[in-house]
Amino acid sequence: MNREPIKLVVVSAGLSTPSSSRLLGDRLAEAVRQSAADGGRPVEVRVVELRDLAVDVAHNLVAGFAGRTLAEAIEAVAQADGLIAVTPVFSASYSGLFKSFFDVFDNDALTGTPVLIAATGGTARHSLALEHALRPLFTYLRAVVVPTAVYAASEDWGGSGDPLIDTLPTRIARAAGELAGLLLARPPAPRAAAGAVVQFEQQLAALRPE
Amino acid sequence: MGDVTTDPTTGRTPSEHERIKAITAIALKTEEVGLDVFATGEHHNPPFVPSSPTTMLGWIAARTENLILSTSTTLITTNDPVKIAEDFAMLQHLADGRVDVMMGRGNTGPVYPWFGQDIRQGIPLAVENYALLHRLWREDVVDWEGRFRTALQGFTSTPRPLDGVPPFVWHGSIRSPEIAEQAAYYGDGFFHNNIFWPSDHTKQMVDLYRTRFAHYGHGTPEQAIVGLGGQVFMRKNSQDAVREFRPYFDNAPVYGHGPSLEDFTEQTPLTVGSPQQVIEKTLSFREYAGDYQRQLFLMDHAGLPLKTVLEQIDMLGEQVVPVLREEFAKGRPAGAPDAPTHASLVARRDAEAAGGAGKQTESVK
Repeated sequence: MNREPIKLVVVSAGLSTPSSSRLLGDRLAEAVRQSAADGGRPVEVRVVELRDLAVDVAHNLVAGFAGRTLAEAIEAVAQADGLIAVTPVFSASYSGLFKSFFDVFDNDALTGTPVLIAATGGTARHSLALEHALRPLFTYLRAVVVPTAVYAASEDWGGSGDPLIDTLPTRIARAAGELAGLLLARPPAPRAAAGAVVQFEQQLAALRPE
Repeated sequence: MGDVTTDPTTGRTPSEHERIKAITAIALKTEEVGLDVFATGEHHNPPFVPSSPTTMLGWIAARTENLILSTSTTLITTNDPVKIAEDFAMLQHLADGRVDVMMGRGNTGPVYPWFGQDIRQGIPLAVENYALLHRLWREDVVDWEGRFRTALQGFTSTPRPLDGVPPFVWHGSIRSPEIAEQAAYYGDGFFHNNIFWPSDHTKQMVDLYRTRFAHYGHGTPEQAIVGLGGQVFMRKNSQDAVREFRPYFDNAPVYGHGPSLEDFTEQTPLTVGSPQQVIEKTLSFREYAGDYQRQLFLMDHAGLPLKTVLEQIDMLGEQVVPVLREEFAKGRPAGAPDAPTHASLVARRDAEAAGGAGKQTESVK
């Protein structure tokens, strides 16, 4: 049985310190860790706080290459077995920083990576930003997005609210279970080795007229 | 680079005519101070002026004796390979062989549709067009059919290359392993345009090219022909260099308004400082690229006045390059080849013809 630790990366685009996006990311990571531990696999969690990388991300957009700190964070996300991506909802969508961070990835860097998407906001009215903004983004990147997306409005951090509606802890547990299930079941996504070669004869042959 | 850019310190914008004349003056200065190569880019959109490289290089060829004329780069994707074969063979005759050419794909999106191509086909265009160009320079009569260009029956590209030996070709790329592979397959040179990239990435691409060069039987990895970019601004006192260059850096068309000059200097080959600093940084390239054959420097861009660029080239020729030549020669293994020239390629061809066998025959595919 595979006892290798699962590499789980949390990307949090929260801007305040501490931020509710980070808080949500930590809760989700802990729930995934427990769920995977129940399945017999340890989990190594790494948190990438985009606030610390905001200027580096902007420099990458302008200069076309990632500085060392950002390159290291991108590499950690690209090599992760699973990803938890959390953004605050700004103006009805993911924050610009969240999008810009994923904009500087190669468009095949997350192919096949299981992703749990989550968002925070002042009101529950923006919860569908997860479905109309985050889910298509990661689908475009050919990541595997788990069915339950977790939205935490300010009120979710307090009382249980309507007893007929799932509480935040319930949704966290369900989403974490889905991600852990994928991580336990899936072999690691095949990734092109650095410096992989496309044989030149194949490149030429592909161009021969029929 | 051939950009028409407003000088941020004076607000003055040169005309296209002034820029073109300045570029040719810079080329003549390059020969005057004893540098080896002058290379021009190719662009088809403002603010750039050099759309017609062989016209410009032909003019420079007529006024120089020793300078090798090259490109950085020639668009193998959107130019007709037949026209590249003709233009550069003509230039090669006019310049008595002082010509090589660097192939590049170009990354300006609209140029592809303007020339009837599709940027998503960038790599296949580079592969197919060069395969045709390679044959046009080596076979007197070519029958050819491909995906991107109308077919040829019984076509002869004229003039034939000087002495029957085509110009040496470099393949330039920043991040496409397919191009390193292409260069290796043909035994051509590989130029990594590293000026905006950290050194570990450059090392990866160059290592790949060297390994594949050996795989295809052209020699050892150390015998592969590697070129690198560089970018410098010098003054005797490094503080003066930083002070003078900063406004040009901060407003440069390509990377301005981004990372600080200090960050850029730390992470890329850019050196802004004394000639001694330029020497030290350039010598360090060998640590990750191995012994290499060509070092190009980006000297003329971002609105720098002609007078300043000419001063920079004077310093490069008088204070930097003589030391680089001497230092690079030290500890250079006997197997590491010199950069190919027309004379060396003719001599190699003749030696192969006389010797018959020999490992190089394997490389003639």
